[in-house]
Amino acid sequence: MSKKFIFIMVSFLWIAVAVGLITSKQQIMRLGKTVLLETVPVDPRDFLRGDYVVLSYKISTIDLTQIQSEESYFRRGRRVYVKLQPRGQFWNVVAIKTKMPASDKGIYLKGKVEFCYDKKLGLNYGIESYFVPEGEGKVMEKVMQGDKSQVKVEVLVDTAGNAMIKKVIVQ
Amino acid sequence: MILSIIMSLLWWAVIIFIIVKLFSGGRKRHYSWLLRELPLWEEKNIINKEQGEAVLGLYKLKRVALKKKMDMVKILTLIGVIFVGLGVIFFVGSNWQRIPAHARTIMLLAVTIVTLYAGYVFSYEKEGFANLGKSLLLLAALLWGGSIALIGQIYNIPTSDNWYIMLLWAFPIVPIAILFKNDYVHILASILLIIWNFLYSSSNDIANYYYPIFIFILMLPTAKNLISGRRINIMGLVLASFYCCFNKYEWLALLISVGLLVCYLIQKEERGYLYAAVFSFIFWNITYFTVRQLSCNLYFLLPFGFMFYLTYKDNIEKNLIFCLVGLMIGINLAIFSVYQLFNYPFNESQFTIFQLLSGLVIYSVGIVSRNRGYLFPIIFKIFGYLVTFICVYLLAFKAILDVWTGGANNVYLFGSLILVGLITLFLADERRSDNFKHKSRRIELAALVAALLGGVILLVSPHTIFLNIIVMNSVLVIFALSSIFLGVELKRPPIFTLGILTFVLFIITRYIDVTWALKEKSLFFIVGGLVILFLGTFLEKQRRKIIERMKPE
Repeated sequence: MSKKFIFIMVSFLWIAVAVGLITSKQQIMRLGKTVLLETVPVDPRDFLRGDYVVLSYKISTIDLTQIQSEESYFRRGRRVYVKLQPRGQFWNVVAIKTKMPASDKGIYLKGKVEFCYDKKLGLNYGIESYFVPEGEGKVMEKVMQGDKSQVKVEVLVDTAGNAMIKKVIVQ
Repeated sequence: MILSIIMSLLWWAVIIFIIVKLFSGGRKRHYSWLLRELPLWEEKNIINKEQGEAVLGLYKLKRVALKKKMDMVKILTLIGVIFVGLGVIFFVGSNWQRIPAHARTIMLLAVTIVTLYAGYVFSYEKEGFANLGKSLLLLAALLWGGSIALIGQIYNIPTSDNWYIMLLWAFPIVPIAILFKNDYVHILASILLIIWNFLYSSSNDIANYYYPIFIFILMLPTAKNLISGRRINIMGLVLASFYCCFNKYEWLALLISVGLLVCYLIQKEERGYLYAAVFSFIFWNITYFTVRQLSCNLYFLLPFGFMFYLTYKDNIEKNLIFCLVGLMIGINLAIFSVYQLFNYPFNESQFTIFQLLSGLVIYSVGIVSRNRGYLFPIIFKIFGYLVTFICVYLLAFKAILDVWTGGANNVYLFGSLILVGLITLFLADERRSDNFKHKSRRIELAALVAALLGGVILLVSPHTIFLNIIVMNSVLVIFALSSIFLGVELKRPPIFTLGILTFVLFIITRYIDVTWALKEKSLFFIVGGLVILFLGTFLEKQRRKIIERMKPE
């Protein structure tokens, strides 16, 4: 294998991976349905990027005694699908499934179990961080320190349950 | 409780290893000095080539090619590349808001590919710029990480705790590492894969079998001539195996252990594989124990037996220390499993006596090895002595014996009796072989018998604490005196010094032990300081005098 061929192959691989990553996210932007979620934010920093806020959603912690669930205990790291339905302006969890139901046309969000004890289920949906321009993270944090209920997040969810933040609304 | 004991055993192992290295590594240091100096003597015609070869032949040494000093240009280009790479990543990290997101991605990707091209051109198309080309390839790999981070930023994908972002950085740079044979990129990819492994396991809470498989199939075979790349991967595998202890991934630990052993059998010149295999099997054994505490893991004897065999066959003295540590941990875990079946309580005192007797058995193996001309008698003796000494030292404290009063544990008792039986058999054999005739051996055996009797007294009479303290302190004094006499007899200054050190340690410890309870601490320090000053000066003078006399005239 000539070195030139290796260079070309690696270049194509890199472009393919980058395009693949972008396309998968663009797909969600194109086909995803928008849901509005209630949040509770905090603000650490990530060394690889500029300011960002860490978002915690009301649906991040689920009371298993209140919500219909297929199982009563989930081990850490397990994948689950939560069914969302609008209640007022925000969308809330109404059921927890271990597999994506093929026939149900409702909106399901894919989550990963962070903790499960005392009938409380902590989930991570991969939409817990939001990037803001340099310096503005602190400003946003200050705004959020007031009335937390005024922070809303518009999230796009595709048919496979993948989610992406569309917009953070701070009133 | 049990895990903390295992961890403390591992700490002991580290201390013992360092001490063994200190005492046994001297010869190796001289050899490497000789290998360095010999070409110089030949160059200055002090000796000729044949004489040089004869000297090397005497010590069974082989000439080694002198390592080339690292090129200054190489270092500078490398530092420059790392600075530029980090700068770009931080530049991406800080906001670059005025340019649209997609334009930013395309620009960074273009810069990355151009850098890759430049790396290729300088490495293979233009002559005389190999170092620059190599460094540029590393820069391209770093920039690729920056590109992935930027895409992550645009779509709000967290990078620092996201295993698949780490994977997307690591995997696409592996072809550069392997196909361009770039050791810098190989090291970078190896480090990223280690991070990926931990992120994957912690975020999914499952064992990551892909990591060792990928490392064994691709990274290690391609790092055959890249020492740093190979060793980082070996370290990554040992860390992955260590991680299994806390997450009950017993099969993963076993897979890594067996893989490392196979790698050693394939590439014997890399001894790191064997060391790593020993540690990995120790971690597998601990994991097995944490997964099924009531089931005794006798399977561990199989790999350890094989690794002992390899240690002897390939004459690797360092590995014997690791194997002995592994064997001691294995035996103790097996005992834990057995006594839990019978619901016996953990008894610290019996546990320590068992270790003391194990140390004596190991020391006895050292004596047998010396008498019969087997390998590594010194390693066995130093290891056995240190284990025994640490146990005797602990058992000589009143405060410790007062606390260590757990209920009787017959499994430890039975195990200790077996060890006592083994040592007695060894002593009988020594007597039969007339080994007591030599004065030096009589001194050595006197210390061994004293420790054996001390252990037995504590074993059969655990509640007579006052008597036990006197017994153990007497054993310590016998250790000190026997080392001093043995050092003089054999004209070996290190053994003599060891005896003096043991004696000083004994005096200081007992002084603290007895007087620390006094209310007046100032008196404690003043008297203590004076005692150390006078005793220290006196002993050091005597020690030097005696060592001076030991030197051949």
